[in-house]
Formats: sequence, structure tokens, C-alpha cells
Amino acid sequence: MNRVVLIAGILITVALVLVLSAGLGKDPQHIESPLIGKQAPDFALQAVGTHETIDLAKFRGKPLVVNFWATWCRPCYEEHPVLVSNAQMMQGQVQFLGVVFQDKEEKIQGFLNERGSAYPTLVDDAGKTAIAYGVGGVPETFFLNKDGKVVAKFEGPIDPDSLQQNIRKAMTQ
Amino acid sequence: MTWIFVLLLVTGVKVPDAEQIVGQPQGPVVSGPMLDQQTNEIAGLLRCPVCQGMSVADSPSEMAVNMKHQVRELIARGYTREQILRYFERSYGQFVLLKPKFQGVNTLVWILPILALGVGIFAIFSMMTKGGDGQPVDQPSVDEDPYLAEVRKLTGKQS
Repeated sequence: MNRVVLIAGILITVALVLVLSAGLGKDPQHIESPLIGKQAPDFALQAVGTHETIDLAKFRGKPLVVNFWATWCRPCYEEHPVLVSNAQMMQGQVQFLGVVFQDKEEKIQGFLNERGSAYPTLVDDAGKTAIAYGVGGVPETFFLNKDGKVVAKFEGPIDPDSLQQNIRKAMTQ
Repeated sequence: MTWIFVLLLVTGVKVPDAEQIVGQPQGPVVSGPMLDQQTNEIAGLLRCPVCQGMSVADSPSEMAVNMKHQVRELIARGYTREQILRYFERSYGQFVLLKPKFQGVNTLVWILPILALGVGIFAIFSMMTKGGDGQPVDQPSVDEDPYLAEVRKLTGKQS
């Protein structure tokens, strides 16, 4: 009888340890995007500077890089030149869009004037677009294929290699 | 709230809408104190994505405040608790739910502690009785203790 209890105890302990250890290596702030493989949430937002309303649907047929950022986010300063140079390099092949939330337009304009821009930057006023994309913190970058499906998500300041690798995914999937 | 919709129409601004994701509202339109109460209740079930283990209802972060506004707006439009949770789960996955769902690997999180408690109670019970046959621990059976059996045989004393 005691042997049964011992075996059951060992099995439960092993199962608990497995469940807990599965979560040990994970970053608690990392959010696995359930949007990957699904149609990206549609939006049409006003562009900084021009106030032109830019609709995501307008870019169907072309791979898209949607970067969520803000001027109060330090890592966003780091990745900005990477995005600008790649957007210039891949002009015509891939469309880049910046979506800024929890920010003020004059600050965004100041940032872009100082650091340059190569693609439209849109303002997400109440953060609804960021919420619909499951943004947990900035910067976060989503890669959409030509049909508007999300193929990848990158959290944190993106480096040139990761950017190119994910763009290739968006172009081929 | 109406001025926001007017502004959106005028500017052509379009934000992702719950209707595309969870369909038409399936509950009654709520307002007044009931709206505040339901907003807090549902926001309390959602995890703030930029905080450490805090709910959207408790967090002062701007992201949580935006999420709480959205919860409030959805309730006011007649969306049910299940629809609202499903709406946020579609963007953030199960991460956003403070109470894990009873499905998949999560089932273990619910079952294992209950199972462990059951086994623990059974183990204590079986330790208190000898082998579960109802005999007290301080009276070992002759079969299990040959030395005691020999002593009893020599002294001619039966248990």
C-alpha cells in the first residue's frame, strides 16, 4: 500500500516539476502572439505631420513591417536608424509603417525631424490598435505578408539581421 | 463617447473593432453604477501586459488604463464578459487571463494540486493504520514480525 502512495507521490512531484520547469526559462514579459498565421487587425490612422488617414488595407499586395514605438521609449531610439535605412533600401518591395501610442504629436514630430524618417508614422490615440495587436511594450514589430496575414512578431529593439530575416519570412510565406 | 465616433467618421480614422473579432454584442446595454461595477470586475480578470502580475483593474499604467477604457466601452455596447475576455485573448493569448482556462496543459495546474492533496490524505491515513487493514500501529501482526511471534511462542502467550 505504501508503495502505491510512494509511486503516486513521485509521479505527481515529477509532473509538478515538469510544469514549473517549463516556465522557468521563459521571460514573463514575453507574449507569444496568437495573431501569427491570422489576418492582421485592420486600422486606418492619421499620419504625423500630414494628418492624412492611412489605411492598412491600402498596402495589400505588399509585405508590411508595422513597428509600434513611442518617443519615451529609449530602445526605440536604438532601432530607429535600422528601420529607416532598411525602409530606404527596400523601397518599393516592402512597406514600413510606424504606429506611435501613448505619446504627443509634437514630440513625435520633433523626434522624426531630428532623426529622420522614411515611411509614414501614424498616431494610435487611445491605444486601441496596439491592444488589438497584443502589444505589451514598445518597441514591437509585426511582419505581415502580401495578403495581410501576420507571419512574425519581434519584441524589443530590432537589429538588422532579425529585421531582414523576418522580412524574408513576410516575402515568402 | 459620441464625439469620438463623430471624430472618427470625420477623419476616416478606423480602429480595430470588437465586432470583427467576437461578433455582435450578446448582452444588454449597461450604464450607470452597474457599468462601473462590471468594468472593475472584468478588468480584474485581465492581466496588465506591462506590469508584474497586476490586473488591469489595479494597474495605474497607461496601457492598463487604455485597456480598462476599452472594457468599459465594450460593456456599454452590450458585450458580455465572455465576449470581452475572448476579444483580449485574441490579441494577447491566454497570457492576458489572470485565471488560466481549464484546457490543455493548464488542466494540470488545476488537477495536480487536488491530486497531490488526495494522495497526501491517503498517505497519512495509511500511515495511521497499518497497511490499511484497520490494525493499530502499536500492535504489529504476528505475520509481519517473526521475532515477536517467536517470543510469543516461547512465553506461550497469544496476542
